[in-house]
Amino acid sequence: MWIIKMKISKSWRYFFFFILLMVSVVWLAVVYSPSPALKIVNCDVGQGDAAIVIYKTTQIVIDGGPNNEILECISNHIPFWDRSIEMVILSHPQKDHFQGLIEVVKRFDVANFLGTELDSSTPDYRVLKELLKQKDVAVVNPRSGMKLRVGMIYLDIVWPQSEFLAQYTEEIKNQGNEEQEGQGNEIPKNKKTGVLGAFTSKRDPNDFSVVVIVKYGDFQALFTGDIGPEINNQLSVNPLIKNLEYIKVPHHGSKNGLTEKLLKAVNPSVAVISAGKGNSYGHPHEEVIKLLRDKEIKILRTDEMGDVQVETDGQKIFIKN
Amino acid sequence: MNKLIWVILFLGLLLRIGIYHQTQLSYPNGTKIRISDRVTSEPVRYPESQYFRLQGLKIYLPLYPEVSYGDRLVVEGEVDGEKLKKAKLITLTSSRGQLFGFRKKIIAFYQSALPADHAALVAGVTIGSKSGISTEFWEKLKRSGTAHVVVASGMNVTLVGKFLVSFFIYFFSRKRAVLLALAGIWFYSIISGFDAPIVRAAIMGSVAFTAIEAGRLSNAWRALFLSAAVMLFLRPDWISDYGFLLSFAATASILAFEKKIKTRLKSVPSIIREDLSTTLAAQIGVVPIFLYGFGQFNLMAPIYNVMVLWTIVPMTMIGMFAGIMGVIFEPVGKLVLLLSYPLTSWFTIVISNFHFPINFQLYNLLINWRLETGICGLSR
Repeated sequence: MWIIKMKISKSWRYFFFFILLMVSVVWLAVVYSPSPALKIVNCDVGQGDAAIVIYKTTQIVIDGGPNNEILECISNHIPFWDRSIEMVILSHPQKDHFQGLIEVVKRFDVANFLGTELDSSTPDYRVLKELLKQKDVAVVNPRSGMKLRVGMIYLDIVWPQSEFLAQYTEEIKNQGNEEQEGQGNEIPKNKKTGVLGAFTSKRDPNDFSVVVIVKYGDFQALFTGDIGPEINNQLSVNPLIKNLEYIKVPHHGSKNGLTEKLLKAVNPSVAVISAGKGNSYGHPHEEVIKLLRDKEIKILRTDEMGDVQVETDGQKIFIKN
Repeated sequence: MNKLIWVILFLGLLLRIGIYHQTQLSYPNGTKIRISDRVTSEPVRYPESQYFRLQGLKIYLPLYPEVSYGDRLVVEGEVDGEKLKKAKLITLTSSRGQLFGFRKKIIAFYQSALPADHAALVAGVTIGSKSGISTEFWEKLKRSGTAHVVVASGMNVTLVGKFLVSFFIYFFSRKRAVLLALAGIWFYSIISGFDAPIVRAAIMGSVAFTAIEAGRLSNAWRALFLSAAVMLFLRPDWISDYGFLLSFAATASILAFEKKIKTRLKSVPSIIREDLSTTLAAQIGVVPIFLYGFGQFNLMAPIYNVMVLWTIVPMTMIGMFAGIMGVIFEPVGKLVLLLSYPLTSWFTIVISNFHFPINFQLYNLLINWRLETGICGLSR
């Protein structure tokens, strides 16, 4: 008799435990739901670039860093139940910008992948390209002038220009992307038929970096990849780049990056530098820091602060660290 | 008579290990060699490289292409002591084995359904996969003395065996049900990486389940020695494997001391008495190995363990069930797996945020250099 009694009470105990777990999942989901503001996190991934732009359940990942540390950053800033990322932007195919994206694409439902056709000979980039194909992710090839909307976040692409690509790249033939041939370097009519790795160039890949303005309300942030001084100066005359609130300083704060002209045009109140602690390149360089200090711009560095978190309601900027 | 058998068995074993070490191929440093072999344990994934062993040589390769347990590889390089220098991957043939494929699918499913550390924890406790554990998370597990939970071991075998017996008994005779459960245990241990601890547990589990079926009292000590003998006979190199040593030391000291400790802990609340006495008993055998092998041991480990061990059994059950569901129909599996999130959260919060005012790290200074020489990497 007592055996039956014990059995019942035991299965009841399991049942209560099960209910308790369900309740705690719901409770945690509520606790970890995102606040109704735009949040930009520059992840501390060591020497490299990785950022997440979050608005409610919409996320845009801009670059993935040189390792898998972006995964921890995502875990810390995106609710556990949200396993989809609306857009991934790869500025240019160098390891310190794309490596972490392999695991991101593997583990999350990525809706769109924005990246240029510029190829990289590293085997790991091939892994990323094959993974995107295998998971059937829509690829978009950005061109300056392109305007995109992801949820409530608006994106203006300001680099690379079609003319620049036409001048400095060569198309790789016989790659099985015949549908692209003959279209030249024009923006494809259907934006979602982009390809990756169709071009090569003798120029520094940094100068092909995707540069994008992220807009929410009156707030505008400029993400610059690794663009060098020449491109900086070209961009400084772009009418879209005028008095933006936020800049991700190009090329980890290298002197081979931000120029005074661009800084003058952007005129930001906040500048974020993504560099690794004690990196061998000496990034960020003293010249760049001085440039920013002289203009009394608030400098936020991942090598000093860890993940740099900035929030905005579309008007004001709040630094969350 | 009985004793004689044991003595013969023991001598045979010594002979086997001796012959193995005599005939072990060794190459002078600098020899260029090409190895063609199957990967027999899960590669460890570091931030910049992946590490595994082939033919007793340590091999480090770039992170991609990803090498998995069960893959066939051809690797070239230069022998440098225990290491293969300048290792270069020539070909990688993904194993077409169903079991390895199944393991890969389950791990990918966990990773697509939960945040990184949580997925790594679930994959670790359910099928002993350590490849997804990040360096920082691994450090926390080691520091708190809870790294043993990400090893598939006796608890997993018991869960699988008990579940299968009670499931198959509805359809078959008792004898058949036990036989099927045994098949299930071995199937599970292959999926779980076939590392020393899970093999030990599978052999001991098989002995225990068979004994129950045969209506005989199973002697745990005999099962333990038997499994050690069988394992060393088949894989003499396991004699220096930390997973093997820790697993046997822990099991032996639990068998020897757990009951005695439990009776002394009468004043401890019953809710933690079980876990505390198991942990304390296991420490007795494990501490010397830790001190020798890693030169470090946290005296607070039993407290961390008592705080988190209760989450492991439900986490494993949810992980196994959700894993199977997830491979069949992903959305349902994902929903089920979410139930493990409160448990994994508690676990990670305790080991990362809970600090004692004094964290007693017991150091064996004499052999502390081993930490720097990278022997700690072996424990994974």
